[in-house]
Amino acid sequence: MSIAFWEVTKNFGPKRILDNVSFDVATGEILFILGKSGMGKSVTLKHIVGVLKPDSGAIIVDGMNVTKLDEDGLAEIRRRCGMVFQHPALLDSLTVYQNVSFGLRTPQFARTLRRTLSEEEIRARAIEKLALVHLGPELLERRPQELSYGMQKRVSLARTLAPEPRYLLFDEPTTGLDPVTTNAVNDLILELSRKLKVTSIVVSHDMACALKVADRILVLDQARILAWGTVPEIKRSQEPLIRDFLSETLALLPPEER
Amino acid sequence: MIALIRALGAMTHGFLAEFGRFCLFTRTVIRTAARTRGNLRPVIEQIGHVSYRSLPTVAFAGVFVGAILVLQFNEMLKEYDAGIFLGGLNTSSVVREVGPLIISFLLAGKIGAFIAAELGTMRVTEQIDAVECLGTNPIQFLIVPRFAGIVVSSMLLLALGLMISVAGSMTVATLVCGLNPLQYLSSVPKFTGVSTLVAGMIKSAVYGTIVASVSCFYGFNATGGARGVGRAVTQAAIYTNLYILIANFVLSNLLDRLGGLFK
Repeated sequence: MSIAFWEVTKNFGPKRILDNVSFDVATGEILFILGKSGMGKSVTLKHIVGVLKPDSGAIIVDGMNVTKLDEDGLAEIRRRCGMVFQHPALLDSLTVYQNVSFGLRTPQFARTLRRTLSEEEIRARAIEKLALVHLGPELLERRPQELSYGMQKRVSLARTLAPEPRYLLFDEPTTGLDPVTTNAVNDLILELSRKLKVTSIVVSHDMACALKVADRILVLDQARILAWGTVPEIKRSQEPLIRDFLSETLALLPPEER
Repeated sequence: MIALIRALGAMTHGFLAEFGRFCLFTRTVIRTAARTRGNLRPVIEQIGHVSYRSLPTVAFAGVFVGAILVLQFNEMLKEYDAGIFLGGLNTSSVVREVGPLIISFLLAGKIGAFIAAELGTMRVTEQIDAVECLGTNPIQFLIVPRFAGIVVSSMLLLALGLMISVAGSMTVATLVCGLNPLQYLSSVPKFTGVSTLVAGMIKSAVYGTIVASVSCFYGFNATGGARGVGRAVTQAAIYTNLYILIANFVLSNLLDRLGGLFK
């Protein structure tokens, strides 16, 4: 059970965003997708949950071809794949509690559980997921706009975790965060992946974060895969773009970690 | 010359393609609304929001639209010594033509722009993608309540706006034109029959549907950050007014021909 891309091509108008891209993600691993802005990283994630459809190729999630699924099938894929967006993407009109519990009230979730959760169960689960991202229950009745950006990102992560997905898809999780919160989010990704044993795909342009957290790294450039391998393999790569990414990052690391 | 024809062709193609996407979107919204069962609370909340926000504007517009028409008609009718028909002529014009048009223009500016900006911001900050990824149909969750709210509110607001307009017109006719309220109202039944009321309600429902569908369409499909939201709001305002004018032309003709059915 895992995620696989098979010769996926996607164009936006005349611009090719993904060109014959193929890769897979093993169960339980953390895959980082790196690349400069506009290289199709976020587009890759949105293909997995069926928000975007490829022009050709296939995306396989747990043996199901996402490109061939109807609305019900896609809903099931979206329940299995929790997506954390670049923006917190919390609904402003709802409280933290309503946001975190949003995915628990959908018909798909009830179908998976074969029952509807009671309000007490939903509340307990919301508090549990907030605790996982190191936030307390005192925030439950607050509105997103009353929270700092970093807290909103954590609430967003708690919302994604609430339906207990098998896969976590992070789209630039540390964008717009200060270095301290960035480190905290990186630690959180690692902790959640290990604690909940979920498979994670993280889209980022932060090589330092990738070296710290990833099991494997995939580098996208000019709509194609430039490199794909474990952290030591990527560190040994002689590709100029990867050397550029690495040179700035490695200089900041202590010698024993380079 | 060829370049001009090519540019015109490209513009027409662009407009028709956009109009086609808009029609498909509206069809999806109506189909989704027809399938949606149960919880009416979001729709009632939207009706409340829209009506509450627009009421003062509609009331002001109602008074002044009626007042302006009274002054115009009064000048014309005086020439023929037919001032007694002022009430009927004015009420008929307000209910059938000017009222629905002006009120829907105001709704387009006030509510349409608000909805386009709200949905556009939700789109560019990925809130709509998040709703979809959490297993909820965003058309059902976000669009249907707003769509239904605007359509129902526009009819309620129109009815209220017209009553205020008639009252305002009567006050101006009394104060400025020297008619007493009874004289003013005496000719109303002659000019304002069931067909006029039905025409006014049909028009307001159609214009409300246009305001709702155009603003939701441009907001829902906004792209490209803050500029994209600005573009969506501008397009929503322009196309709403354009489609309302086209619909007014078609409906006025059609309802004139069908008018006999309601008499």
